[in-house]
Amino acid sequence: MALEQLSDVVQRCVTLPNDSYTTEDYDVFTIAGRTCIEEGNSAQVLSIVLDEKNQDIVRSMGWNLLPPLIQVLLKKEDKNLSHCLAVFNHLIKVCSSARQPKELLIGLLEQLEQDDPEPIAESLHLLLNPLQKVLLCLGSRKASSLGMSLSSVLDQVAKLPLPHTKEQEEDDVFSLCRCCTDLTDFVRPFVHEARQNNLNSQNDNANKMAGDQDRGKEDELRTELLKFCMKTLSHPLLEVQLKDPDTLAVSPLRNFATEILNTLSAIGEPVPSLVFQPLLKRKQVPGFLEEEVRYPKESLACLAHLVFVHHLAADTFPSVFSPVFSLRCNMEHIFECHFSFDVCVFTIIQELYEKSLVRVEDGSLPADLLEIKTFLQVPQVNVLRHLLLCPQRTRGLKVFQLSVDKFDTEAKYNFFQYMLKTSNHSGVEGYVIKNIKNQIDFALRPGNSNTWFEGVHLLPLLRKVLTLPDGPETDLLQYLDRVMESLNLLRYLIIRDKVTENQTGIWTELYKIEDAFIKPLRVGVNMSRAHYERELHNTMETKRKESVLSVSVGDEKLPNMTSESQIQALHSALHTFDMIESVLVRIEELTEVKETH
Amino acid sequence: MAAEPTREWSDEQLKSDDLPKKDIIKFIQDNAAHSFLNEHKLLGNIKNVAKTAKKEQLIIAYDQLFESKRFKGTEPVEEMTEQVKAVKIEEKPKEVKTEVVDEGPPKYTKSVLKKGDKTNFPKKGENVSCWYTGTLEDGTVFDTNIPAAARKKKQTKPLSFKAGLGRVIRGWDEAILTMSKGETARLEIEPEWAYGKKGLPDSKIPPNAKLIFEVELVAVD
Repeated sequence: MALEQLSDVVQRCVTLPNDSYTTEDYDVFTIAGRTCIEEGNSAQVLSIVLDEKNQDIVRSMGWNLLPPLIQVLLKKEDKNLSHCLAVFNHLIKVCSSARQPKELLIGLLEQLEQDDPEPIAESLHLLLNPLQKVLLCLGSRKASSLGMSLSSVLDQVAKLPLPHTKEQEEDDVFSLCRCCTDLTDFVRPFVHEARQNNLNSQNDNANKMAGDQDRGKEDELRTELLKFCMKTLSHPLLEVQLKDPDTLAVSPLRNFATEILNTLSAIGEPVPSLVFQPLLKRKQVPGFLEEEVRYPKESLACLAHLVFVHHLAADTFPSVFSPVFSLRCNMEHIFECHFSFDVCVFTIIQELYEKSLVRVEDGSLPADLLEIKTFLQVPQVNVLRHLLLCPQRTRGLKVFQLSVDKFDTEAKYNFFQYMLKTSNHSGVEGYVIKNIKNQIDFALRPGNSNTWFEGVHLLPLLRKVLTLPDGPETDLLQYLDRVMESLNLLRYLIIRDKVTENQTGIWTELYKIEDAFIKPLRVGVNMSRAHYERELHNTMETKRKESVLSVSVGDEKLPNMTSESQIQALHSALHTFDMIESVLVRIEELTEVKETH
Repeated sequence: MAAEPTREWSDEQLKSDDLPKKDIIKFIQDNAAHSFLNEHKLLGNIKNVAKTAKKEQLIIAYDQLFESKRFKGTEPVEEMTEQVKAVKIEEKPKEVKTEVVDEGPPKYTKSVLKKGDKTNFPKKGENVSCWYTGTLEDGTVFDTNIPAAARKKKQTKPLSFKAGLGRVIRGWDEAILTMSKGETARLEIEPEWAYGKKGLPDSKIPPNAKLIFEVELVAVD
């Protein structure tokens, strides 16, 4: 039935000029054609479609047959597969050369939209090639259609699960790797075209005959490809963890990443310019994209990561830039991404930061670099976020220490002041104070004398360290890290610096420290201890009463757990106060001994 | 024995704002014994000492110097070190004075392979463009921006950067300012002014590597 309807409408339309087909003609052709394919009559459809006489009709209406055809092709086991494939290929060939192959293009893109990973991967694999053919037929008008296509394709790729381990990448169960490879093949001719345009425009620079319109179209193509690269740098490249060649010799994902870098170079966006972009004043390109859209921050950070951490495209990256310059640029990338809560972004900027720091010599960054705000804020925000987000503090502190080590002495001094003033985090402050102690220790050794950690500048810094944030009312548990490190520092100074030498100035300052730090701390410890002892007493009373009165809900007796853990916490607090007090006592002992001798 | 130095300034003159700190420092450095300078923390580059020492301290030191008479040459050990220092200074070859006096001799050498126009020298902050090839001492080429096929040279661009701003390794930065447009030179850069003790990790340049570059300065700004 359907077959007859199809034959009829085709026979009728053959005689008509092709811009006079009615809506009814379209509808009948579409419905009948689709039914035929679905019913398995694709051989007959093929002969209609191949018939010379019918080519005008096919060119105008054929694209409507795509959905059922693609469904069959995706199923793969269908016995009509070869016929459908032949129809499909013919349609692509014919409809691409239509004056407006837009419908064909949109038809194909619609078929890409699937919900589950398997059909997504299969339809990409099937349709990227025909899509490419259609686009290539668009000639100089292709840029916006290419952009639309790339955008749709990447949206689909984004739905595929990512491989995380080496085995997952090898198995490629969800075909992400294959899609990436297909995608590289897909863009290849367009990249080539953009590269040619680039060369021609360079050669024609003197020749002002090149039409502005042409140049505009070329710019469009380049812009669409740039958008594409930047988008891939956000997904999937930001989120996959590339394996190095030793771990996985052949990695489709690493190849894909390398191809993206090559593409950028080909379209006139060389990788070094992008990596160093924050510090280069780029010429304002009159285009239709804003800078931030053109170069999304996270994509640039990902790019820098690929270059500096994975060493992709290392052969084409110049080895003449100074490590300090690279650090500066990378810190800008890191700074821009610092406020992202995306774990993948966080991981990438950590690795980038660490790798950039390692290349710089210890003690080589001078104090005037601290005038660049990233040098102050990046290490600070980095360590704070790390302590916030990661249960293990060690990595964050390790990177922080690495960054401190790169500063020269004066820079360290200024940086520590900044950190103490602005961090508002007891753990970080404690760590900084420990660093100060180490620097003083270093300065006191013969030959290392400097004016920052002994002599003139040390006392102002010490005054900032040896204080209690809220005087005697300071919450000692909250500020424990800071208080303990301050006490340790004071104890160290008293032991290390002879009264007669007073290299650090501590002995002349001691009476002030008594008033500003030691006395209020004593008071604070006593007050806190009294408070917690009372709490402990009350809690134990409650517990005792509870064992007389037990509470049950239904038939179950509620456990006394909360009291138990409360008691433990209170004991722990009291132990902390004992610890603080023991250091205070020790300091007093030492002070007396030294002062009387 | 050299005659004892005499007071140049009265107390009034010392306290006056007209007398800059560095003059006092220079006097004391020129005339005091090494151990005296050490105790009063007056050793080192005059600029640095001037930054950290207060005028009052300097006046005190100045007075103490004349009271204690701990002038140069009054300590035997000191005499010897002074002599050694004197010898060293004589042997150092004459260098062109650059901005940074205490940094030592330049850690690169340049030999001109092709002369430039000798007129267009890059200034600090100006953009320069170069073709270059970099090799290690053993001849391994670790980097170049000159494409292998001559026809491809049209497709590649020379390396561009702003000179003298620390964006490139120091050897390059210093050398490029001495080159004129069109010049091709061979640079041999010591590791201290290249990638130092670290080299370029995971890359082509090992630690403590001396680098050799052939550089052609194509354009200035």
